[in-house]
Amino acid sequence: MGSKAKKGPNKVANFFSPIGKFFWNLRRMFLGGSAGTKLSYLIFGAGNFYHKRYIKGAIFLLLQVGILLFMILCPSVNGTPYGYKALLNLGLGNLEEGGQFNPATGEFSTGSDCKLMILFGFVTIAAIVIYFIIWYKNIQSSYKADMDKKIGKKPTTIIEDLQALLDQKFHITMLTPTCIAALVFTVLPTIFMIALAFTTYNSQDMNNLGTNLFHWNGIENFKAVFTGEGSLGVEIKNRFLPVLSWTFIWAIFATLSCYFGGIILALLINKKGLKGKKIFRTVFIMTIAIPQFISLLAVRNLLGQYGPFNAMLMNLGWTSQPIGFLGLNTSDSEILAKVMVIIVNMWVGIPYTMLMTSGILMNIPADLYEAARVDGASTTKMFFKITLPYVIFITTPYLISSFVGNINSFNTIYLLTGGGPTHVGYQAGGTDLLVTWLYKVTIDQGSYNTGAVIGIFTFLITATITLITYRRSKAYNEEDTFQ
Amino acid sequence: MSNILQPKKVKSQSRNRRISLGVTYAILGVMSIIWLIPLIWIVLSAFRCEYQPDGTFIGTVTSNFFPRQFGLENFTKLFSGTYYGVDNAFLKWMLNTLIIAVIDCLISTFLVLSVAYCMSKLKFRLRKPFMNMAMIIGLFPGFMSMIAIYFLLKSIGLTGNPQHPEYSVIGLVLAYSAGAGLGFQIAKGFFDVIPNALVESAKLDGCTNFKIFRRIILPLAKPIIIYQALMSFTGPWMDFIFAKVIIGADNARFWTVSVGLYSMLFGTHPDTNLFTQFAAGCVIVAIPIVTLFMFLQKYYVEGVTAGAVKG
Amino acid sequence: MKKLIVCLLALLMVVSVFAGCTGDTPAAPSSSSTDTTNSGSNSGSSNSGKSNSGSATKANDDGLIRVWVGEESASFYQKACDEYVASHPEFGYKIEVKGMDTGSVAGTITNDPTAAADIYTVAHDNIGKLAATQCAKPITDQALVDQVLADNPESFQKVIYSNLNDVKYLYGVPYISQALVLYYNKAYVTEEQAKSFEGLQEAAKAVGAKAITVTGDDGFNMSFALLASNAADHSTTVKIYEGADPVAGGSKGESFCQGDDTIAIYRWLQSFAADPNGFKWASSDGWEADFNKDNLGVMAVIGGAWHFNSAKAAVGETNLGIALIPTFTLTAEACEGLAGVKAGDVYRGGTFADCKCFMINANSAATKYAKEQELIMYLSSKEVQNQSYLECMNVPAYVGAATFIKQCFDEGKVTEGQYNLAAMQVSMAEWGIPQPFLTGTLNTYYYSKNAPAVLRAIVDKTAYPTTGDIILQETESLAGIRKALYMVEYLWMHGVNPKEFPANLPDKA
Repeated sequence: MGSKAKKGPNKVANFFSPIGKFFWNLRRMFLGGSAGTKLSYLIFGAGNFYHKRYIKGAIFLLLQVGILLFMILCPSVNGTPYGYKALLNLGLGNLEEGGQFNPATGEFSTGSDCKLMILFGFVTIAAIVIYFIIWYKNIQSSYKADMDKKIGKKPTTIIEDLQALLDQKFHITMLTPTCIAALVFTVLPTIFMIALAFTTYNSQDMNNLGTNLFHWNGIENFKAVFTGEGSLGVEIKNRFLPVLSWTFIWAIFATLSCYFGGIILALLINKKGLKGKKIFRTVFIMTIAIPQFISLLAVRNLLGQYGPFNAMLMNLGWTSQPIGFLGLNTSDSEILAKVMVIIVNMWVGIPYTMLMTSGILMNIPADLYEAARVDGASTTKMFFKITLPYVIFITTPYLISSFVGNINSFNTIYLLTGGGPTHVGYQAGGTDLLVTWLYKVTIDQGSYNTGAVIGIFTFLITATITLITYRRSKAYNEEDTFQ
Repeated sequence: MSNILQPKKVKSQSRNRRISLGVTYAILGVMSIIWLIPLIWIVLSAFRCEYQPDGTFIGTVTSNFFPRQFGLENFTKLFSGTYYGVDNAFLKWMLNTLIIAVIDCLISTFLVLSVAYCMSKLKFRLRKPFMNMAMIIGLFPGFMSMIAIYFLLKSIGLTGNPQHPEYSVIGLVLAYSAGAGLGFQIAKGFFDVIPNALVESAKLDGCTNFKIFRRIILPLAKPIIIYQALMSFTGPWMDFIFAKVIIGADNARFWTVSVGLYSMLFGTHPDTNLFTQFAAGCVIVAIPIVTLFMFLQKYYVEGVTAGAVKG
Repeated sequence: MKKLIVCLLALLMVVSVFAGCTGDTPAAPSSSSTDTTNSGSNSGSSNSGKSNSGSATKANDDGLIRVWVGEESASFYQKACDEYVASHPEFGYKIEVKGMDTGSVAGTITNDPTAAADIYTVAHDNIGKLAATQCAKPITDQALVDQVLADNPESFQKVIYSNLNDVKYLYGVPYISQALVLYYNKAYVTEEQAKSFEGLQEAAKAVGAKAITVTGDDGFNMSFALLASNAADHSTTVKIYEGADPVAGGSKGESFCQGDDTIAIYRWLQSFAADPNGFKWASSDGWEADFNKDNLGVMAVIGGAWHFNSAKAAVGETNLGIALIPTFTLTAEACEGLAGVKAGDVYRGGTFADCKCFMINANSAATKYAKEQELIMYLSSKEVQNQSYLECMNVPAYVGAATFIKQCFDEGKVTEGQYNLAAMQVSMAEWGIPQPFLTGTLNTYYYSKNAPAVLRAIVDKTAYPTTGDIILQETESLAGIRKALYMVEYLWMHGVNPKEFPANLPDKA
């Protein structure tokens, strides 16, 4: 299936063929179906009633009525409706400013809520899509019963259908909860946030204008990366490249330092004849087990200006002034802060790699070493010629996912430096990654449009890396053969 | 000649080995200390009980690593303290977190297992597209969607509901566990290793897919079940951003413990003298989680390794 | 890709049963129980003919009035409210008070005003923003308006109004007053030394510390320099939105920031900050750490009343001195080339003198409106303000609170430290102005438009690389400071950076 799609010339045809097939099926089923099937095109479940499968029919009918009621009645939350009105609202035209006040009664109109309009618009679109899928399935179900009848088979009963859900269609049963949950709490919100990148939803601008309303504004926010227009335009124009390049530098250093550090630690711990392996492992697992907001905040305070570490350095006479390791003050060194977060990140990340590679190290076929030993290879040589290649070969997928993970490494930066040292006048400081910048811009500043732009760029970067490497990885291409 | 040389060589080899072992011990020892220092320091801070000469309690970070005086005052203050107008807030936060963690653990584990099983052992149309889709969605920064989730939950009354502030807890559980199913990759990697032959032969015996899942796969999947449960159980104890948005800044009664502890350090308080109490809270939170990790270490390692190899 | 989509849709088919439900649930049960959701038919009828959603507040009256106050006084106000309800059976509402993080409460409200309390409290500088974004409802009850006008100083009265539909309305009811004061370490600084920056410097030199720091680098704390005024006659040329009339649609009035005195003050601060025993910017490790008696980072710190406990913890109660923000004497270098000032002029650090106010949520049910105002009238009465001073150390906002504060001290109801704190805030208010934020626009212009960052660049003598249009190359020379201050003034007025500097900067001083 997958390989066919990859062949170039057929791509377009491949894309359109399911759509063509879909309409062809619709036509075929209408022409070839029974009266019940034909009626199903209008009333859900009609075909099932026709075949005396009342329960199934009733479910379909209920779904139709439910969604139609939802569309027509437009239940509203905080004055923002769902349903067909939500679709009309999606354009954000015809907004109501609010602020009409009746001093006598205390009634106050609060105006349109643009973000809810967009959100509910998408929910409604999802409901419509679902409606048509049910519509199609309802026709299909009826048509299938027609066909069964034609060849003299009894149409499946509801019991049989349910049983199928535990067997041939077991995947539907198993995936439905995840699909519902992911649609509502992951897919829709993500689409919503992407949409905000194309609006003027920026609390500062809106405060300045004294309004609660915002509008669609096309790709203006993306242009701001180059032109620097808009309220956070200067910020995004001047800080985007520095933050982006630091994000990459960070991800490369953080990934490699933890990776090789972890392998070396694993080798040390698994050294033959070493006693107390368990104790050492436990020590390192501790840092994984303890919530990061605890351990990282501990490190932050430990390294702080008046923390024990600086006190120690000063007592030893190595420095006369406390050193701002983590760039918490504007005047602190940016380079030092960058180096420090990478070092502290090793403290966080090395135990992971150690745990992971320990298992792999033990699985290296012993005969490889035997052969090398017979050839008189030294320990170092064996490490570079056997151990390292083997481990790297097996853990390449991890290397990639940890690289992507580091690009999105929110906790380490946010808890350690808070992005500092700050650049006066900007949100994004010296150690801010795209994600922490995104957080500051959206959550602290309420500039949802700029935040969404940063988020989309972050996504594009991680997605590109992941797709390129994942597509080429053995795990993906040989998945089927592997089984 | 070779007969004479032989023992000497063995001897020098063993000495070399001893030296290298010694060096290893030294390196590991130093590293262990480095790794433990921040943790030890937090524990020491939790038991620190220092006063100004006039009797004012010092709760801030101080430059001395070892406390000059030990005591339990931080713990008593923490447990009896009123934060954000909530009496005995810390106990309530602990209980909330426990409830959230347990429910999240059950739901998330179930979702992950079911998706992973489908992706690994069932053949159906749209399997690969689903996997790709899950991967793509997983690449968006999580808190981009936080605000939208808040408003969706609010529209069904599961947060920001003044009549039932406790519903926010349900909302948070939903927000935590809803996306869990999309993180099936590690569990799938585990299922992939279970031979297909087992499944095939069971099918020949007339087992339904459901039965295969329940009777064959689940018993074999114990390590990955424990791994997933551990991960989703510890999640709520560690998150300090999502929980505050979903439960609400005004809803301190129903915060999770991490939100509460985080606010102690970073909120604007009349009293910023809370570092040692924060440390005490950290110790209380860390104890159960670390214990769990220690007991389930084996499974954790297995999960991590599975994830690494399969990506 | 197409498969992904098709896949999703196909799976959604089963989903739909539930999706249909989730879609419907808000409509059905909500009408009976929750007040945040309106039933479908309700909004349908009210908006007939309109495609958009704009609807009047129709939040259901749930018999509960929710109040948000600062974290520290939550228990006190809950008690006060309970007493009120008990003694006024006709009040008819239950009251629920919650403590909020004062620093972030305004943001919480604007993020989702429908989830905010019926009555909330914010510092007055948020009034403009909250009014402009329709988070707050005006106060119209005549008795309450009269009480506000009778009780509060004129300076507060100027900043609690905002305009709505071209009518000037009272929005906030002051109940706590706040001003910056100086906390100093009595172990090293004498009372006399604490009276001037030079004295603090002298004390700092003796122990190798810095003289003074602030609790945060923001425009609020740094107002001590910007609002410094001549110690002899209280005069300053700085005008922030003076004469701005919110009723005229947010006219910015007059702003001025380039006076000779301002330039001289910033030149003085430049050298004071460069001095090894001079001014220190706020440390992100926390000013408490700087102030801590063991660390001996700084001798004194400028902060608000809400820093009292931390300051106490940092140096110990007996060592904690509280004073007015000190004076400083302009040096000859600072005055060089400036006609409006002369060396030896003494200035006193200024402050924004704020009040915290009760406000009514715009989304609160109209039926609660009268009772909410009744409750605010009670909670902002002198008696409750006095009580809250005794129990939570909130300095009352009304005129003449000083007498009560003194009386409490004489009667031994408060400690000396507590008395000093309150008394100094009251005196400091004479040296300050309330943050003059009249509309949402002016409000954000001051804070988030980087004017404080430009001012910081002057103190640090660094360039301020702002937009692509103009770059402030240097901020050290007289011309550089002038340019920077021009920029600040322009930011206040227009909310954007100037496109260019005038060739000949006007000297209005």
